[in-house]
Amino acid sequence: MSVKQEALVLLLAGGVGSRLNILVQSRAKPAVPFAGHYRIIDFSLSNVMTSGLTKIGVLTQYKPLSLMRHLGMGEAWDFTGRSRGLKILPPHTGFKDSDWYKGTADAVRQNIDFLEKNPADEVLLLSGDHIYNMDFHAMIEYHRFKKADVTIGMMVVPMSEIYQFGAGVTDDNNRIIDWEEKPEHPKTNLASMGIYVFDYKYLLDSLYRDKAEVDFGMHILPRAIDNDNVFAYPFYGYWRDVGTIQSYWEANMDVIMRDSAISPAAWGVRTNIEADGRPADRPPARFSNSAKVSCSMISAGCVIRGTVINSVLAPGVVVEEGAVVRDSILFADCTVGKKSTVDLTICDKRVKISGDTIVGSGMNHDFPNIKQPKHLYTGITLVGKEASIPSGITIGRNCIVNSKTEESAFSTGKIADGETV
Amino acid sequence: MPKSTTLAMILAGSRVDNLNVLTYYRPKSAVPFGGFARVIDFALSNLLHSGIEQVAILSQYRSYSLINHIGTGAAWDMIGRNRGVSILPPFKDNSDNKCHADWYRGSADAVYKNLDFVQYHDPEQILILSGDHIYKMDYQDMIAYHHKKDADLTIAFVQVDKSKAHRFGIAAIDSNEDGETGGRLLNYWEKPESPEADWASLTVLVFKPEVLYRALQENQESSSFEFGRDIIPQLMAQGRKVYGYKYTGYWGYTGTTEEYWQASMDLLGENPPIDMEAWGLRTNMEHRGIRDAQPALIRDGAIVHNSLVYNGCIVEGTVKNSILFPGVHVEKGAVVEDSVLFFNNHIGADCKLSRVIMDVNSVIGQGVRIGPEATSKAKVVTLIGWNNHIPDNMCIGEGAKIYPNISSEQWSKVKCVEAEEVLR
Repeated sequence: MSVKQEALVLLLAGGVGSRLNILVQSRAKPAVPFAGHYRIIDFSLSNVMTSGLTKIGVLTQYKPLSLMRHLGMGEAWDFTGRSRGLKILPPHTGFKDSDWYKGTADAVRQNIDFLEKNPADEVLLLSGDHIYNMDFHAMIEYHRFKKADVTIGMMVVPMSEIYQFGAGVTDDNNRIIDWEEKPEHPKTNLASMGIYVFDYKYLLDSLYRDKAEVDFGMHILPRAIDNDNVFAYPFYGYWRDVGTIQSYWEANMDVIMRDSAISPAAWGVRTNIEADGRPADRPPARFSNSAKVSCSMISAGCVIRGTVINSVLAPGVVVEEGAVVRDSILFADCTVGKKSTVDLTICDKRVKISGDTIVGSGMNHDFPNIKQPKHLYTGITLVGKEASIPSGITIGRNCIVNSKTEESAFSTGKIADGETV
Repeated sequence: MPKSTTLAMILAGSRVDNLNVLTYYRPKSAVPFGGFARVIDFALSNLLHSGIEQVAILSQYRSYSLINHIGTGAAWDMIGRNRGVSILPPFKDNSDNKCHADWYRGSADAVYKNLDFVQYHDPEQILILSGDHIYKMDYQDMIAYHHKKDADLTIAFVQVDKSKAHRFGIAAIDSNEDGETGGRLLNYWEKPESPEADWASLTVLVFKPEVLYRALQENQESSSFEFGRDIIPQLMAQGRKVYGYKYTGYWGYTGTTEEYWQASMDLLGENPPIDMEAWGLRTNMEHRGIRDAQPALIRDGAIVHNSLVYNGCIVEGTVKNSILFPGVHVEKGAVVEDSVLFFNNHIGADCKLSRVIMDVNSVIGQGVRIGPEATSKAKVVTLIGWNNHIPDNMCIGEGAKIYPNISSEQWSKVKCVEAEEVLR
């Protein structure tokens, strides 16, 4: 049997994603739960799987435990088998290089052994931070057709957002002729999705050339564009960076919209449902006679006795009678007590909200969080993992309740807009 | 690590005609139950929680669905150095012995034909179970009682209504001995016409191996090969030490479609008699890819009351007192009441379903009525076999039975299906 070498995949999953605030307090951004029982990285991994690619290395660095548990051996994405495999590549010390990753290119360079042990024609470089559905096989075919050294997945974004991305100017042939990394005054609205196909040998040569070049967007790509063949692969579907609380919340809301552009089911997104150390055989969601649910996603193991509107509930969430959950995202095993209200709030796992409490109160959506005004400014309140909120409390907009906050930490009955507990 | 001392054998061979179209393509033990699981998961989960790690499943009728469901046994932690689950299908061998010639002739014959397997494991006790019952039991308690009594055979019994007792193996248990725990069997009747007692067998039997081996050998001279009908009476007649172990928890018997429906309804309500979460029910999440189903979407305008809805469902209409398996889509204006809908059924807009059990993969057109007319509630179950495409505005009367795979050509000739009619 002779099979053409397929592309090797490297997934950069080390980023902190600090704008996600307390959601990344104990886990890397790719491991943040999304759309009920998924995690952000599932979308990239499932794209790799459905594109027919079977060899993948995942580069970790920041708080990798939760991510490593989730990845397991890669069975969930069919990466186990004689010629298949998912390898976790943590930072390591060497004879000289004992530092943490200094950038994306540095991270790949430190794992050059892995690249050399797995020869391929191309290397597909991805980040695990985005929600999208893409056929990498088509992109690799395009790369081969163009005889490119590097091909970059790119899409048109609003001019106002381009400052967050690498931006490329292309000629009529889709060849990239100019590059700006996170431009303040952009010349183009064509943004890099952080998806690169490298010619295998070209990548190795680039990495060996100069160790000071530690970042793809800042160093490797501008140089490649100046000297070699770099092409843009245009992408037209749904793609979303969920790096901020606001965009994370919006993307979750996109999942529950009717005729939504994002559909884990239609995209064939897989996840590892066993990863939490709890058996995944949760019974079906239970709706009582008093349940009122609309426009929501409800996972297995939920018990709904109250009202749930426009919300995304992960497995095992309990909403008691008289409680109202609106425009919110609740992670696994949260409980909302009787007659409590949860409005425009993201609760991390196992948050316990007692009865007669309001989380997300008032109309003061524009008063940002005092400590983290750049993270919370649209009205969303965040409650950290395993926090307990006692009865009779009113929590305003843009508030943060830190992970593992105990009931005794609430000295007053009212947490004003923008406060942090 | 100590070797498991108990070998469990699950009787999962039978079809059970009473379940009708649900068991056309699968054995009764593989019938879906509880919105995501299968009937046999209750026995398997009981074994898991009882720490019994050597399990064999005797399977004969349409084994495929069951084999698929068991997989490696990993779902019940039955894989490892000293743990395992084996499926034992009927087999041919080249001996002249007539009993080795053919199909399993009954539950006792099935075990007899696999005595090599049993003796190879050299267990201290053999636990024989039915794969068809819904209950939660710690078999170790029963095995401990079996040892305490130094019994040859210990059988689990549950108290039933005397009017229903004629359908079961019934025992009179000496209550002087251990009161609530159990006692020696004074008498045993298999499906007695006029029952004199009300303790019914759960088909959970613990045997002393030597006693079982001998009983099965002797039974080969007979013309009937069932544990209930033959082996238990035979040991009673021989004066063996046969004990009854009293079980007082919930017991769901799914022998008929009405009983299956009732057991399903026992999953609902505020304090359901069957609590799958508390019982620690385990199933094979790989089977039918249920682990990959996305969480359920409950759309604008949907009403879901007193129901179980698993991942993979989309509800736009009304669902009351019902159980929806993965992949069920209930369109706008449709009303599903008192029903159990298996995997991947599509219920069209403005349909009305009352007390329906629907097997997998059917597409129900718009405005279809299944059950009684107007607003009255159905009193009997209507059954829909798998892979049917029911045309728009079809009426199917209460108690009707639709066979699997009715062709669209045949459906086009049907004006309506009368109550109690069987469409095949």
